[in-house]
Amino acid sequence: MAEQEEISEPPQSPKHTSKISETPIPSEPKPVSDFDPNTMRQTKPGLKRLFLTLTVLFSFLLGFPFLMKSIEIYRSPLPFRDIDSLSNSIESNPLLFPCHFQAVFIGFNQKTSTEFSADKLGFSISDQMRALTTENPPCGSCSGNYTVSVTLDSGNDCVRNQNGGTGCSWRCGAIEAVDFGESLEGVDENLESALGGCGKGKVYSVVVVNRDEEVRAVVGKCRHAWVVGRVSEADAASMVAEIFVKVFVNGGKEEGLIHGEFMPVGADGSIVLSFNLLNADPRNWIYEWDFQRVDDILLAPIIEALEAVANVSVESQVLYHTPKSSFSYWDDKWNGYVFSTKDLPFFVNSNEWHLDTSIAAGGRSKILQVAVYIPSAQECPLLLQLPNGEISVTNGFISPMWGGVIVWNPPGCLSSERERPARHTISPQDLQKIFEVFMGQLRQLFGLKSDNLYIGASGSYNLLASEKGFTEWELDVLSRQHTCFNLLSCATTLGSLSRLVQSLPRMIIMDEIGKQVKFSLEAAKLAQSNASRGIYDASAVSSRQARSLAEDAFFHPSIMSVSYYSFEHCFAVYSPFFLPVLMHVLLAALREWRRYKQEKAKYLAWKAKAKVAS
Amino acid sequence: MALLLRPIVSFLFFFATIAYGSVIEEEEFSEELLLKPLPDRKVLGYFHFESKAPPTNTYGRHHRLFPKAIYQLVQKFRVRELELSFTQGRWNYERWGGFDPISSSNAKPPGVELWAVFDVPEDQVDDSWKNLTHALSGLFCASVNFLESSTTYSSPDRSFRPFSGSLRYGTLPREAVCTENLTPWLKLLPCRDKAGLPALLDRPSIYRGFYHSQWLHLTSTESGSVGVESGIVLEQTLTVVLQPNTQRTSKTYSSDAVIQPSWSVSSIFGRKVSGRCVLAKSSNVYLLLEGGLVSEVKNLQKENEKSGAGSIAIEGFWSNPGFELSVIPDRVIKEVSSLHSKSSSVLYEFLIEKYSDSKPFDLGFTWKLPVVWSCPQAPLHASRFLMGSGNERGAIAISLKSTELSGGILGADIIEDSCRLRVDVFQVVPWYVKVYFHTLQVFVDEQPQTVTDVVEKIRVSPSEDKISPGVMEMVLKLPCDVKTAALTLEFDKGFLHIDEYPPDANQGFDIPSAVISFPDFRAGMHFLEDNSSNNSPMLSKFQERSPVLSYSEVLLVPLTTPDFSMPYNVITITCTVFALYFGSLLNVLRRRVGEEERLLKSKAAKKTGRLPELLSKLSAKLRGRPWEPPQSPSTSSSLISRKLIFKVTLVAGIAAAWQYYSG
Repeated sequence: MAEQEEISEPPQSPKHTSKISETPIPSEPKPVSDFDPNTMRQTKPGLKRLFLTLTVLFSFLLGFPFLMKSIEIYRSPLPFRDIDSLSNSIESNPLLFPCHFQAVFIGFNQKTSTEFSADKLGFSISDQMRALTTENPPCGSCSGNYTVSVTLDSGNDCVRNQNGGTGCSWRCGAIEAVDFGESLEGVDENLESALGGCGKGKVYSVVVVNRDEEVRAVVGKCRHAWVVGRVSEADAASMVAEIFVKVFVNGGKEEGLIHGEFMPVGADGSIVLSFNLLNADPRNWIYEWDFQRVDDILLAPIIEALEAVANVSVESQVLYHTPKSSFSYWDDKWNGYVFSTKDLPFFVNSNEWHLDTSIAAGGRSKILQVAVYIPSAQECPLLLQLPNGEISVTNGFISPMWGGVIVWNPPGCLSSERERPARHTISPQDLQKIFEVFMGQLRQLFGLKSDNLYIGASGSYNLLASEKGFTEWELDVLSRQHTCFNLLSCATTLGSLSRLVQSLPRMIIMDEIGKQVKFSLEAAKLAQSNASRGIYDASAVSSRQARSLAEDAFFHPSIMSVSYYSFEHCFAVYSPFFLPVLMHVLLAALREWRRYKQEKAKYLAWKAKAKVAS
Repeated sequence: MALLLRPIVSFLFFFATIAYGSVIEEEEFSEELLLKPLPDRKVLGYFHFESKAPPTNTYGRHHRLFPKAIYQLVQKFRVRELELSFTQGRWNYERWGGFDPISSSNAKPPGVELWAVFDVPEDQVDDSWKNLTHALSGLFCASVNFLESSTTYSSPDRSFRPFSGSLRYGTLPREAVCTENLTPWLKLLPCRDKAGLPALLDRPSIYRGFYHSQWLHLTSTESGSVGVESGIVLEQTLTVVLQPNTQRTSKTYSSDAVIQPSWSVSSIFGRKVSGRCVLAKSSNVYLLLEGGLVSEVKNLQKENEKSGAGSIAIEGFWSNPGFELSVIPDRVIKEVSSLHSKSSSVLYEFLIEKYSDSKPFDLGFTWKLPVVWSCPQAPLHASRFLMGSGNERGAIAISLKSTELSGGILGADIIEDSCRLRVDVFQVVPWYVKVYFHTLQVFVDEQPQTVTDVVEKIRVSPSEDKISPGVMEMVLKLPCDVKTAALTLEFDKGFLHIDEYPPDANQGFDIPSAVISFPDFRAGMHFLEDNSSNNSPMLSKFQERSPVLSYSEVLLVPLTTPDFSMPYNVITITCTVFALYFGSLLNVLRRRVGEEERLLKSKAAKKTGRLPELLSKLSAKLRGRPWEPPQSPSTSSSLISRKLIFKVTLVAGIAAAWQYYSG
């Protein structure tokens, strides 16, 4: 009933037909009974509204890139791939330096073919060195990348092995002129002048002198050692190999003394040595020191020697009323107050010892505290008992990466006469003893041995000490390790920076950070290439630079700030507009599209019918 | 361990002893405490510590007493002079005095005040200042680093100190000062608070007081541009005003005067002095009695003598009719009669080295009779206040009122009309308080004056928005017989960016204290025994004649604070309006009017609404006529309009209810 009404209605309003094209109004009501207006239409469905809504939708979609561009935050492009490749290359194959070794044999009988003998010795030394090195060479050693040259010196002619690489040129017989009976220092100097020509290439040499006397092996201050005594060729070869590997390459360290990666150098490549003289109770006695003299005379050469590894600066202060925070008890056996190694974690009293961070030092330099503790009268003399029950000779201890504590008992502190607190100055002799202990502690902090005897598998070796505190071969070891450690730390810092940056996609990254990362990578590459060519100093310097730049980038103030423009923020600002509008637009487009499809189907149905009909 | 270095080291040492022969000068440290009864029943405690370090090029850079941190600060930032004060409370100039060395150099504005003079080229001064503020903020656990921003510091020119260009001055009026600032300050002393006079500093009793101000002053001639090198001098003072406990004021006297509370060192500080700091060169406690008090006590004594009670000579002053001391002083120092008061002050000295753990020092001061006296005042008493209301504009007024002093001593040496009183005013105003300097008005004795008559010199550096504060330095010449004087300046309140508001924006913004100084007047004391008081740094400092200086109140200006959620609200509402507009526009564009109408018609034809049908049935029943279905076209149109009206009223009703209940 109603449908019929509707069909009969259209002629009443002819203006509609002219206005709206897609209304399914038959232009001329045919008396065809099979026309169903619900499923058919006679005109083509119009495209106007569909076109309109789609245009709006597309213009919105086109606007999106512009919006994203306008709310984009600046991120300097970081070379993520280079960072990854650097950390991969450093982790997969540790930095190895090329090293040159030479062994000089003097006074061995040369009945057999000398050529062959030199070669044979060379091979035997190489083999033994290979056996001594561990499977996974630690970072900064020379394994796998060395040459051994062997020379048999018989006074007038020298025989060298063939694959010894570049043996350095020194006059044959020059070493024989060295008198090995002299004092050790004298021998050392003579050898240095004899082998001096080899100094530039950093060749480590061992001189083996076969004579009729007790065997003794000495490692000098420069890059050479000597073995004098009754030795067979085979013994000599094994000793030489051991000196090369254990002393010259590994620095004579015992395993597990201090973990190799600890290097007390700040991220900016500097160390501040902060010396503190702690008077536990100035009411008993007041001790002072003449630190200016220590600084000028004793510390200056050490600072100079360590230049390749770190910039060292020195400061000092005297503090008063600084009791220790652990307890000690009287022991009759030692006639003094004893504290044991178990108390050491509680010895440093951080409440009363104001060992401040330094204003003079930069932000990321490492401060090594050296505390000289003068006990009060209630606990004097104060002695450190080792776990084996003995009393420590140095009366001091170190804390890795923090520094060292030396307990110095004032002379005559047991005598009872004590009236007024008097001012004393620590005598130069005592100060010198304190300083020796400090030197030992500093060497330990750097991971070196603090005594002068190395006991290896095939003999014990005397190590000569340098007046600079560190011998040349020790400095080589330090700078190799330092380079390696710096590169490792640079790679991990850059790696974490890249992870951080990738995990926060809306963090602002300044151009400066990008530059720092770039320069850091460049410096790291330079350090690697220098290391592979054996230029220790340059590689140490550029590795230090790489690390400090990487740290600068990581700790850049703009990264530290929390106020980055988060995505949530962006969403909260723009969603009140885009959410409703986009919903409207999308729904409209969807509806129009559906309707168009529906109407088109109707039209097609009608057409098909018309075709059938005609 | 480590025996391998011995031979070399010993060799070097012998060399060293030859190289270094003689020591030029010594580092020195001294500690002193001054106690002074105040007229308003309170006690002033004034700790004074001084450390000296000889110049670097003769002494070297390693010290045994001088704090390492300060030495490094001086070296790194090339500081020539520095003054830093942390203050809580306000110095009461009227009651506690305004003309003595303590009040003019140690009465400080609340919060932090820092000024420093650098020995660097002019273009590097700002950088040095910024670095220095950061170093100090780390050193003293305070937010001194807020002085880094160029809106907070200024470079005063004339009235402050004779260094132009390299001086920077900044204050933080709202900095809260507490024990975390005191502890690092004490760390600069060799004995800290473990021994000696600083051991008195029991934190609860100090911070219970009415005023405390810790002050640090540093002068250095290290950098060498000044001819004579005297090294670095570090002065540290702590000024506290404490109220003694008043349990024993039972006795009331016939007159209305109430006896002052008696006190002792242990009762006001809660501790006793058990010996000196062994590192101090001198360790003394002083008790200062002001001229006014001394003359009052002398009067009492005379009365007593008249009545025939005592025959104590004036030398035995420590036990007299007015008061009694529990410890006999080691020395009595008298001031040479000063200009402005009838009687001279008296200073009792106690040497701490005589006391020990077993015999601690505990000075007791017992009042016997009520004594009323007053402290010497600065020539003019300054106060500052705000005028006007509203959040738009206002005015700052500085009012100067004469005290009895100016009437007294100025009147004495007047050479008729040529007598002029010079007053220097230094005022820093933050940039968001936009002062119009042309509106400066001066009133003398409540009469408006032309500015040029009174203001001798004026230097103004107007503020720049978000860059620098406004600075005004003025030299006023007022007639000597002035009773009151006032300066007013009008200002507009600026608007801050939303990021620049502090967390508690509704509290208001502080205008730092104005500094008012009287360069014609010098606060200083002259002591009779000049030669023996030389060894006390505190007394020699008192003898320096420093200009009389006073600070005005800190002003609190309320600024218009926005609704901080406003930007987001605006964004949201605007976006919603836009979204509605877009949506309805789109709907209108794709509307098919004819088709809808037809659809509606067909619907109406199919079925009418349930309710009208029921209604018509009901009415038909009531009328007793047979019910007939209504004509669809007519009802449908009326139905639409009815529905529409119903919907509109529903929405309006909901809106009204919402408004009513939520409002």
